[in-house]
Amino acid sequence: MSNFTIPIGPLHVALEEPMYFRFDVHGETVAGVEIHAGHVHRGIEYLVTKRNIFQNLVLTERICSLCSNSHPQAYAMAVEEIAGITVPVRAEYLRVLADEVKRVASHLFNVGILAHLVGFESLFMHAMEVREMMQDVKESVFGNRMDIAAHTIGGVRYDIDAEGIAYLKDKLDKMTPLVAEIAEVFRTSNSILGRTRGIGILSHADAINCSAVGPVARGAGVDYDVRKKAPYAAYDRLDFAVHTLPDGDVWSRAMVRLQEVVTSMDLLRQVLDALPEGPTTATKERPAVPPGEAVAKCEAPRGELIYYVRIGDSPKPERVKWRVPTYVNWDALTIMLKDAKISDIAIIVNSIDPCVSCTER
Amino acid sequence: MTILIDDLESRLAAAAPAGIQYSSANNAKGVTTAWCRLADKEELLPVGALMKAIGARLSTITIFQPKAPAAPAPKEGETPDAPTFFGGSVASDGKSYEIDYHFDIDGDTLTVVVHVPNGGDVISLTPLFRNANWPERELMEIYSVIVRAHPDPRRLFLDPGIEGAVLERLIPFSTLVNSATTKGLWEKIMANKGSQS
Repeated sequence: MSNFTIPIGPLHVALEEPMYFRFDVHGETVAGVEIHAGHVHRGIEYLVTKRNIFQNLVLTERICSLCSNSHPQAYAMAVEEIAGITVPVRAEYLRVLADEVKRVASHLFNVGILAHLVGFESLFMHAMEVREMMQDVKESVFGNRMDIAAHTIGGVRYDIDAEGIAYLKDKLDKMTPLVAEIAEVFRTSNSILGRTRGIGILSHADAINCSAVGPVARGAGVDYDVRKKAPYAAYDRLDFAVHTLPDGDVWSRAMVRLQEVVTSMDLLRQVLDALPEGPTTATKERPAVPPGEAVAKCEAPRGELIYYVRIGDSPKPERVKWRVPTYVNWDALTIMLKDAKISDIAIIVNSIDPCVSCTER
Repeated sequence: MTILIDDLESRLAAAAPAGIQYSSANNAKGVTTAWCRLADKEELLPVGALMKAIGARLSTITIFQPKAPAAPAPKEGETPDAPTFFGGSVASDGKSYEIDYHFDIDGDTLTVVVHVPNGGDVISLTPLFRNANWPERELMEIYSVIVRAHPDPRRLFLDPGIEGAVLERLIPFSTLVNSATTKGLWEKIMANKGSQS
C-alpha cells in the first residue's frame, strides 16, 4: 500500500463552505489530517469596534446564517448585563421561540445533508421539505427566512398574535409525524446505519479533552447544554430534556440532533401555550449603556456560543469577542478522522455541522 | 448550574501569591459570573492548573488593548504617576494588552485576567487545555504578543504574507481586499496578463 497526500478544499463539492484539509493517506485509510483555515476571514471583530452598540446587533446577526439568531441574542444578553436591564417576561418567551425555530431548521438541514452524503436522496429531499415548513414559519412570523432580526437590547423586535399562534401550532402539528418518520428511518434503515454506525468516533474522554460542545459533545455522552447549565431567557421555566448518546459516532450526533428537533418543537408548544401578556421591550427608547464588561453565553444550534463585551466611554464597544461552537469542534474532527476511510471523510466532516464563516469571522 | 465552588477565591489566591483581585456576582437566574485579575502574568500557569483540577473547561481567550484612562491635570510642581494595571508592573498606556481567559465551571463563568506589556509574552496554556491552541495562535496574529512554549505557533487565519498585529494598525478596506478600485483591479489583471494587442 502506498502513502500519499490528498488535498480536499478549500473549494470542493463535499464542502458547503471553504476549508482546506490535507489528508495523509495510507492506502484507503486516513493516517493524519491538517486543517488550514482563513479563506473567509472577514475581520468582523475589527468592524464591531467601529459601529455603535445598536448597529452591532445587525452586524452580529450576519456572522453566520444557520445560527444567525444566537449571535444577537448572546450579544444583547451581554449588553443587558452591563446596562442592568431586565428583559420583560413576554420577551423572554419570545426569545425562546426565535431560538427554537432556528434550531429546528438548522438541525433538519444538517440531518438532510447527511442523507444526501450517504446517497439517500429521497430522504434528503424529504428532510429538506419538512425543514421548508419551518422556513415558512420564519418568513411568516419574522418576515425573513434566515436573518430573522428577533432581538433588540432589552427585548425582542417582533410579537406574535392569536392568529400567529394558531398558524405556528398548525405547522407544528403537521411537522411532528413527519419528523418522527425521518427519525425512524435514521434508526432502522440499513442505508443510513451502514454508513454512519461506528464511523468517525469521538470518545467521551476525547470530547472532554477537546472541550467539544453541542451535539458533537452530547453525541459522545457529555451532558452539557447551556440552556440547562446556565439558564437564560425563559428556559428556567420550561420543561425539556438534554439528549445524550454514548457512542460518539456519526449516527449518534445525527440522532441527538433529531431528538433535539422533537424537544425544540415541544418547547415551541410550551411557549405558545404559556406566552404571558406584557411588553416586548424593557424601554420605549434606546436604553443608556454605561461602561462595563460582561460575559454571556447561549446554546446555539451547534453548541455553546460565548460573547465577551467591553464598553468604554464611547458608544462604540472597546472590544467584542465571541467564540462559536464550531471553533472548538474542529479539533475534535481531527480525532474523528483518524483511521477513517477516504469514502467517509465527507460524512464525518458534515457530522460536526461545521460553520466556517462563523469560525473565522 | 452550580454557584461556583465555595472556596474558589482562597484557592485562586493560594495559586497566585503575587495577588489577585476577585469579584463574583449572580444574575437573576442563579448563574454566576466571576472575575479574577492576576497581579503577575507568570502565575497564569498555576491558576490554569487549578482550573484543570476543578474540572473547568476553557471556553475561549480574549485579547485587546484597553484605552488609557484620562489623566487628571497634574498639580503644580508634581509629576503624575503613570497609570498601571493591577499589580503595578504593566503600564496602562493604551498599548499594553489585557488577556482574558474565560473558563466554564459547569455553566458558571470565571474570567482570569492578565496584563502584558506591548510586545511582551505570556505562557501557553496548551499543556493543560488542548483547545488553547487555536485561540493562542489567533491572538499572536492579531496583536504583537508572543505566546511562549506554544506547540504550533503558525498563523491561524491570516496568510503568512500579511504583516502581523493587524488589530493594531488601520488597514484600508481597499488594501484588505487587495484592489483599490474596480479599475485598479482591472489594471492589475491586465498587467499580469501582459500588454493588450
